[in-house]
Amino acid sequence: MKKFILKIIYLSLPILVIAIVMEILLRNIPNDYLLKSQYLDKHSSEIETLILGSSHAFYGLNPVCFSSKTFNAANIAQTLNYDYEIIKKYQNNFKNLKTIVLPISYFTLYKKLETAPESWRVKNYMIYYKMHCSKSITYYSEVLCNRIYINIIRLISYYVLGDPTISCSDLGWGNTYNSKNAKDLVKSGKDAARRYTVKDIYSDMNQQIFKENVFILESILRWSKKNNIKILLFTPPGYKTYSENLNPVQMETTINTTREICLKYDNCIYINLQSDTNFVASDYYDGDHLSEIGAKKLSVFINKIINEWKKAHTHSSILKH
Amino acid sequence: MLFNSIDFAIFLPIVFILYWFVTNKNLRLQNLFIVAASYVFYGWWDWRFLSLILFSTAVDYFVGCGLGKEENQRKRKLLLLTSILVNLGFLGFFKYYNFFLDNFIAAFSFFGAEIQANSLNIILPVGISFYTFQTMSYSIDVYKRKLEPTKDFIAFSAFVSFFPQLVAGPIERATHLLPQFYKERTFDYLKAVDGMRQILWGFFKKLVIADNCAKYANLIFNNSADYSGSTLVLGAIFFTFQIYCDFSGYSDIAIGTSRLFGFNLMRNFNYPYFSRDIAEFWRRWHISLSTWFRDYLYIPLGGSQGSTWMKVRNTFIIFIVSGFWHGANWTFIVWGALNALYFLPLLLTNKNRNHLDTVAQGKMLPSIKELSMMVLTFTLTVFAWIFFRANNIEHAIAYISEILSPSLFTLPKFAEIEKALVILLVVAIFVVIEWIGREQQYAIANIGINWKPSFRYALYYAIIITIMCLGGKEQQFIYFQF
Repeated sequence: MKKFILKIIYLSLPILVIAIVMEILLRNIPNDYLLKSQYLDKHSSEIETLILGSSHAFYGLNPVCFSSKTFNAANIAQTLNYDYEIIKKYQNNFKNLKTIVLPISYFTLYKKLETAPESWRVKNYMIYYKMHCSKSITYYSEVLCNRIYINIIRLISYYVLGDPTISCSDLGWGNTYNSKNAKDLVKSGKDAARRYTVKDIYSDMNQQIFKENVFILESILRWSKKNNIKILLFTPPGYKTYSENLNPVQMETTINTTREICLKYDNCIYINLQSDTNFVASDYYDGDHLSEIGAKKLSVFINKIINEWKKAHTHSSILKH
Repeated sequence: MLFNSIDFAIFLPIVFILYWFVTNKNLRLQNLFIVAASYVFYGWWDWRFLSLILFSTAVDYFVGCGLGKEENQRKRKLLLLTSILVNLGFLGFFKYYNFFLDNFIAAFSFFGAEIQANSLNIILPVGISFYTFQTMSYSIDVYKRKLEPTKDFIAFSAFVSFFPQLVAGPIERATHLLPQFYKERTFDYLKAVDGMRQILWGFFKKLVIADNCAKYANLIFNNSADYSGSTLVLGAIFFTFQIYCDFSGYSDIAIGTSRLFGFNLMRNFNYPYFSRDIAEFWRRWHISLSTWFRDYLYIPLGGSQGSTWMKVRNTFIIFIVSGFWHGANWTFIVWGALNALYFLPLLLTNKNRNHLDTVAQGKMLPSIKELSMMVLTFTLTVFAWIFFRANNIEHAIAYISEILSPSLFTLPKFAEIEKALVILLVVAIFVVIEWIGREQQYAIANIGINWKPSFRYALYYAIIITIMCLGGKEQQFIYFQF
């Protein structure tokens, strides 16, 4: 028995040591999640406008263009449950928070990060935001969440080649989608639409995800109302090749559900910019993401709405743009 | 709990240490510990369904006790019927309720009668098809007086819930596994080392072959309307290796883990893709289920005795029931019936037991005849798997129709085809290793045994590194859904 255990230890020790060293090194690579959590730890009490959501908000809303103290806590593939987890984590610190800006994209109500291809991103919330909402031990480790060669590439990229690993500004805006490097809007638009379209929105699993997301959205609205915080929901603009290839049933269900929910809360307004003609080809980085030019346009517009809303002091539950 | 999860990587050493160092002084305590560990293992997925296992265990335990005491044949039959009804009742409700309901509604509406009935949102308890069959086999064996009923409830509970094989088999017979819970277990170094090697090979099959093949099989089957016949053939081949490595990988891990605890489980796979005919394939594929159906269904029905009509009837019954066991879908029934059609000519010409040995035993390569027979059997199997994997019959027919179209003679084309070709290369290497080790319990059982320890360790590290580099994402085992 002793011999067996010793041999197992000898065999696994090098692997364990390598895994631990890799884990430490990977955790020391600066990243957007760490930057955002550190910012929120220090400055959440000063924030007046908080931007949440997925890549559509991460790349599309630049806090610099807002007149109030704004921070972009959105991230790539961030789903509603993690938006809510961020709110819950800092709820006692948001002393000056007046407005939350939250995108409701085509996929928002049908996506759960844990079951999405980007599920490996869950670890970023557990490790860097220090959330403890996942039951899976895998999500508390860098090494376990990615294949080993991806981790090796990340280590070489940062420690050997010195490549930058932060893709956002100090205020959380994703600043790497530059108009100079814009992608083919036709292909990327079609690809994105196909990627986000749920195969069968009536399947048990997708209906369950939909229900959960509606519940979370309502929870965010209830919490905001209780704390006298306004919520601006918006469906982000998409290039025509993206918008035209979306499943109309999935899109309409998302928009109609959001409208219905919004009507129930007087602290909420909803704007649908999906096919807004103010956004032209040069505003896009790819079929569904804005470049820095488009981000400025959208940020200025959203800021204007927030300011008008503040001035009006009256509730208009749906603004049609 | 999945074998391929970090949770299990923590669970297993803890259970191993407590089993051999804390509870080893007392057999009943050790068995009780197995029950507790098994319930934790199962409850990790959904603790609510532990009540089903406990209920099934209690029913069969008391039925067994009753059968031991009772001499009246009518009452004995009644007791056996209770066990069968409870176990099949669970299966029927959790697995087949909606299937029968939907088909009744469809059948009545076909004749113009509209019936209002709502499907239930039923969660299928993991492993229910496995442990219910295991407990039923106990009651049937006790009824047939092949086995003395146990008076030890803890040992019986451990037999039903033994965690390595609880959720996906091998489906053990009480005559084989239950007596192992009565005997004191002593740690056997060689057995444990062999168990570890088998676990390692099981992980390789599951994580490297099955999970990577799954990616492409899913891509092609889920979008089959977009692909050419040649691509669809590739998709079927990916699924063929996915299901084999997924399930036999699980069995290897289960058998290896049991060995660490001093238990021997029955063999579940014996290199089925090297079979020379379908009869041989079914002697080598999911052996624990095939033999279960043989002993408790086929032979009681008369087996291959009697008239030709009886032989045909019994063959179809066993294959269709076997297909239906896999799930409540017509695709599984067609898959079973198709295998019956493959099997029948061999049975009717008395050629079903022609190949009882290992192909090309003691030789490096098979003869041309053996190779052609293997290729033909493999092709028939791949074809049948299309029904098994398809979402429904229409999907399977559309899939096969496209394969039989002129697009079969074009080059396969789909996203990430380059990566898929790398995986095919890995599959080819895997087939070679399996061929070399085909006379062993598992392919790498003898590889490196006589090497210097440093070379042997290098082999283990090579496998571990391959798993770490090529291992797919943590995915459920296919047979968990059955």
